[in-house]
Amino acid sequence: MFLQQRARFAYVLILPALVLITLLNLYPIIEGFVVSLQAQNQMRPNPEAFVGFKHYVRALTEQDAFWSSLGRTLVWTAGSVAGAYLLALGLALLLNMDVWGRGFFRALFLIPWVIPDVCTALLWKWLYGDEFGVINFLLVKFGLITRPVLWLSNPDIAMPAVIFVQIWKLYPVMFIVLLAALQNVPKELFESATIDGATMRQRFWYVTLPFIRSASVIITLLACIWTFQSFDIVYLLTGGGPASATKILPTLVYEKAFWGLEMGYAAALAMLMLLGLLVFSVAYLLVYRSQSEASA
Amino acid sequence: MTAQAASPATAIEFAGFRITYRGAITLGVVYGLLLIAVTVILFPVFWMASSSLKPAPELFARNQTMLPVNWTLENYRNVWTGTDFPTYFWNSFKVAALSTFFSVVISMYAAYAIARIRFAGRYAFSLLMLVTQMFPHILLVIPLFLIIQRLGLFNTHTALVIAYTAFSLPFTIWMLRGFFEAIPMELEEAAAIDGASLLMTFHRIILPLAGPGIAAVTMFGFIRGWNEFLFALVFLQDRELFTLPIGLASFQEEYTFRWDLLMAGAGIITLPVLFFFLLMQRFIVQGLLGGAVKG
Repeated sequence: MFLQQRARFAYVLILPALVLITLLNLYPIIEGFVVSLQAQNQMRPNPEAFVGFKHYVRALTEQDAFWSSLGRTLVWTAGSVAGAYLLALGLALLLNMDVWGRGFFRALFLIPWVIPDVCTALLWKWLYGDEFGVINFLLVKFGLITRPVLWLSNPDIAMPAVIFVQIWKLYPVMFIVLLAALQNVPKELFESATIDGATMRQRFWYVTLPFIRSASVIITLLACIWTFQSFDIVYLLTGGGPASATKILPTLVYEKAFWGLEMGYAAALAMLMLLGLLVFSVAYLLVYRSQSEASA
Repeated sequence: MTAQAASPATAIEFAGFRITYRGAITLGVVYGLLLIAVTVILFPVFWMASSSLKPAPELFARNQTMLPVNWTLENYRNVWTGTDFPTYFWNSFKVAALSTFFSVVISMYAAYAIARIRFAGRYAFSLLMLVTQMFPHILLVIPLFLIIQRLGLFNTHTALVIAYTAFSLPFTIWMLRGFFEAIPMELEEAAAIDGASLLMTFHRIILPLAGPGIAAVTMFGFIRGWNEFLFALVFLQDRELFTLPIGLASFQEEYTFRWDLLMAGAGIITLPVLFFFLLMQRFIVQGLLGGAVKG
């Protein structure tokens, strides 16, 4: 009786959260799917006309829209996540040594994470500037290049340049998780491996790595999920340009929906994007569940 | 021969500690690398601060200096008095504070329920919190734009407050649950035996103990509302309703090449967030690690 009452009370406690999440997170997905089946071209009359899978067919068959954008999104995601992971791991390994002032350094390394996206984008635009950008200034000064590099307006360089910014933005969270995982590695294990004559590389490979493998998998999947759908940085830095060189899926969806006013087509693109994300998400949930079972 | 068994001849005294030469070299290398890493990684932030404190001619000089030659707060004054920045600032504060308040209150009770009460659907609810964190905002923003237009909420702060509240809930609930679960059960059991109701126990015993958790979640919600860009960009139209991020982004078109103003503006947005983050970073990190992590 008492337990039943408590359980009933639990529903009261979660109700407001459940309602808000359903209305603003779940329902829009359904509505988004409905919209993707409608004409929804704001330039023409009768936006709610049913058009079936017309937009999907267009997206999947059209040259230079969905597929090329998907390709760029994969490059953007893989490049950013791999770069951020390596940087995060390097810093975490450094701080995992018995250094004095670990908390201080940890706080410093987290700073890029809290800088608002708009500021990050604007700031890097200023750093990357052709004429007065400090990166070009320093590179010229040290004789590494002779003339300024057009970081954001050269189609061949723009993608690596925006990936670099995303790495800067993304690595702190990965770093925090990896550092926490590293601190769970038992010191004795490491010491006995040393006594047994294991080299540094062997110690990393056979002692450290097994302990951080699960944390690495989880945080890498999460980072992929975030980066795959991230909008702000690229939109603000290049707007998808130059010559579409950085037009990743979120930028394409935004452009179609709010510049082209083709809401239906944009919704179809976004649904396709969700399918892509689902791969990462299912992987994440599977790993996450096997972990919670393992620790339970 | 291991490092620990080094003979006295290869060791030095340093600040009362005995350090082997090899240890000293390792330590030197580690600190060297750390220093390089900090310098490179924080250089952009340093440059933002430095640029915002330079008079405009210095920003566009042939020869750039790392620190301002003539320090000035002129850029900040120009942004604050010569543009709509104070309006954006106030708008951002209002939207972020309101949505944080609602999301903390709502998630507090929900998190307590899943942390402490066994009920059918508890697992499903937790899973929902995890899954909704992964939904791409670029997908949600299209239907929500159409919905708020139908409801007559387009171009209002109300729409933003509701959206920010709803979007931070999954994470704040997840994070708070971690904090609540860390509180020993015995305290509540004792209170229950004394006849306190569930809510009374929660208010009198759990909440005071979960102070750091609540503070971290509050901070987190506020930072998210303060920084959010996409929904503000889509939901708002009138300049006088703009929040800081879209206000600053619109500056970019209006004041192209006025990097003095832009950097000072970016400084104004960043400063409060950075200050609170550094103040609370221990709890925020703790919450992040407990909360399955959300960036």
